[in-house]
Amino acid sequence: MTGTPVGPTESEIEELLGAYALDALEPDERALVEAHLETCPRCAAEVAQHHEVAGLLANSGGAAPGELWDRIAERLDTPAAPSWDRLAARLQVPDGARDGLADAGGDPADRLPASPAATGPEEAVAEIVPIDRARRPGRLATVVVSIVAAAAALAAVVLGVQVHHLNHQVSALSTSHQTVTQAAQAALEDPTTQRVQLTPTATSTAPRGATVTLVMARSGTGFVIAQGLQALPAEETYQLWGSVGGQLISLGVLGSDPGVSTFTFDSVAKAQAYAITAERSGGSVQPTHPPLVEGSVQA
Amino acid sequence: MDGDEGAGAHRGDGDGAPAAPDGITRHEGSSGAAGGSEEGSEMIDVELASDANLVVAIARWHQPALAEAYRRHGGAVHALSRRIIRSDPSAEEITQEVFLDLWQHPEKFDAQRGTLRSFLLARTHGKSVDLIRAETSRRRREDRTTRETATAGYDLEHQVWDMAVAEQVKDALVALPDELRQPIQLAYFGGHTYREVAEMLGAPEGTVKSRIRVGLGRLRVNLAERGVAPAGVES
Repeated sequence: MTGTPVGPTESEIEELLGAYALDALEPDERALVEAHLETCPRCAAEVAQHHEVAGLLANSGGAAPGELWDRIAERLDTPAAPSWDRLAARLQVPDGARDGLADAGGDPADRLPASPAATGPEEAVAEIVPIDRARRPGRLATVVVSIVAAAAALAAVVLGVQVHHLNHQVSALSTSHQTVTQAAQAALEDPTTQRVQLTPTATSTAPRGATVTLVMARSGTGFVIAQGLQALPAEETYQLWGSVGGQLISLGVLGSDPGVSTFTFDSVAKAQAYAITAERSGGSVQPTHPPLVEGSVQA
Repeated sequence: MDGDEGAGAHRGDGDGAPAAPDGITRHEGSSGAAGGSEEGSEMIDVELASDANLVVAIARWHQPALAEAYRRHGGAVHALSRRIIRSDPSAEEITQEVFLDLWQHPEKFDAQRGTLRSFLLARTHGKSVDLIRAETSRRRREDRTTRETATAGYDLEHQVWDMAVAEQVKDALVALPDELRQPIQLAYFGGHTYREVAEMLGAPEGTVKSRIRVGLGRLRVNLAERGVAPAGVES
């Protein structure tokens, strides 16, 4: 952190970390520290340590007041319908992105609900959206993790989720594997294609060095270039997911030992974030396991 | 979802379901649910779940998981808030807010950063301090600072003990030299800024600021020496 002479030095900020952890800074200093913590894992770790120590000071016994829980429970806005839509609403999604989506799958039954409010209490949605619009891009990946994890519990929900089973396409193409690889290579060299890097999540069981590169051409054809992903047992498959218009959509079943494969996507309503999970052979309507690798479109 | 589970509503139903690899125990064979071994939407036994897994369940809108998180940590949250605000209704409001925030934004908890309890307590502390700073007009705040300066000696002797902290934590705190211990107590339990603390103790601001940091670090060492290792953090 060298460079701009404006503002406090790193060591001046470090001096504030203890008082910051105890909420003992003035607002302007607090803002300084918070900005610094965004980019400094070492200082963030120190603050976490201070919080642990302070938490022990407060470590009061005593049972949680039962009547207070009743009041909390009254205020929980658990949606009557499964909450997939509200969870998905945590993603930053431009409003316009929802519209073109029906073209992606073709089946009208797979259409998205018109708005997030369709399945949940309206004020609850309104509560979530503004906060998350303020979310910095770097946090998006974390949110994707929690969304995919949350989705794993909601197997019964099929709101606007589309499965593109690409098994047949993949096997048809695998007879001409060389061709796919060559096409992917050409796409990589094409400056008009978009790339998204997927890397292992914090909790992933994938090897740390594993990377998956998505290369997407304007035509709506994408290539998955997987490096370092272990082969799965035959009864399992990797599956690619995209978050489109606030929904997680299957972009394809990649097989148990992916190298280079293709997928199609809607070039109008493109996903903002992508993840790959391991699923039962044949793929799932929704992810049933947490993501192994994930990444989002860089602004 | 069953919306009216109270805290501990699932207690004692111990059907001995084996722990799943991720630490969440699933109810097997209950009501012959289809595919009891499948991943997915089955009930988790929140009593046996780790705090981190409770938060995952909360992210799935599993209300009993929030009830269990409240049962485990609600007492500490409420006590800390009451200690800082010295007002029961406000402390109850803050306690509610803390758990409603966890319900709405479980993703803000990072299990790799620290424990759920310290996460909840840090938020409790921040909200409580914000409240007293907002409520107290500048004038009254100055009065309060002056008054507490007069009674700081007495307060400092008592405010830790009424928190009913564990013996080792008391020992670790007492083992700190006064000049390191007092700023921490005034800031943490009193909700004072380090500038206010400096005024109360008649010490330079920069000194107080750095003593809080040094004191917390020393406290951590003292705790470790007494077998209390703050969990979930690595140096």
